[in-house]
Amino acid sequence: MGMDRPPTGHDVELAARAASGDRRAYGELVRRHGSAVRGLLRRLGADSATADDLAQDAFMTGFEQAAEYRGEGTFGAWIKKIAARLYLKKVKREARLIFSDNLEPVEDLSVRDTPADAASRIDLDEALKSLSRGERLCVSLCYGADWSHAEAGEALNIPIGTVKSHVRRGLDKLRAKLARPEEGARREAHG
Amino acid sequence: MAEPDFEAQLSRLFAEAPSFPDAALFNAEVAGKLDRGWAMRRVFIGLAGTAAGLFAAFQILTTRFSSEMAELSRNSGRNFSSEIDAGLNKVSALVSGAPASGEALWMAAGLAVIALAFAVTRAVEEF
Repeated sequence: MGMDRPPTGHDVELAARAASGDRRAYGELVRRHGSAVRGLLRRLGADSATADDLAQDAFMTGFEQAAEYRGEGTFGAWIKKIAARLYLKKVKREARLIFSDNLEPVEDLSVRDTPADAASRIDLDEALKSLSRGERLCVSLCYGADWSHAEAGEALNIPIGTVKSHVRRGLDKLRAKLARPEEGARREAHG
Repeated sequence: MAEPDFEAQLSRLFAEAPSFPDAALFNAEVAGKLDRGWAMRRVFIGLAGTAAGLFAAFQILTTRFSSEMAELSRNSGRNFSSEIDAGLNKVSALVSGAPASGEALWMAAGLAVIALAFAVTRAVEEF
């Protein structure tokens, strides 16, 4: 049954078809990038339910704006930007994010994972939990959503220098966290 | 580890999308939302078409009626009572279905029916 076969082709081609109203083509893009978007939103700090709701909203927005994607970057990066913007908008709307000069969050939002999340969790997700809210957001935006420091600063309404500080501190913490298993393995090998 | 190496490693880690056991369900939910949104859009287009058709019919009737009244007003003063009678006769002929106005009315009504049929067909097809 040829009709039931998922659409094939490059993301750019599928996005162009989606822009002309082809929902099956867009469904294939959702299948390809859904997990990446859901993962990014969790890494930014959203709980599972919120992350999935926002991921759905991001894909709906992406379908509406598909004509604006012209293949300058990857579709994955484009849809992640939409998702990240939606998340920041939500966080700001709920007044849960107030940055100050000490770069610490006013409220600590721990990620509440479901068992399904736990099964798919990787080291990076664990390491990100050791970061402050601001560090986590800036690192995830810059490395997970491919935002520039300037873009992150503008979206978070903080100076670019503050973004860089967040990223630097975040990277230091992540390096320490992610290096530990390697060090442990080396010690075992030598011991 | 050097900074660029670590940043590259971090980018790679971020690029690895976690696997979700409920990925199929998520995809289906998005597809369902897209379908519902599309159906709503078609219904809206159909309703808008119907409303536009009805509005057009109303406008055609009103325009004809206004022109008749204007003509009536211009000619007033000569033989007021006879003109009134003539005007009223024209208006009543218009409302009761003179051939020209009847065509326009039926055309507008036909357009409205086509738009309504389109909306109903799409709604039945989508739901």
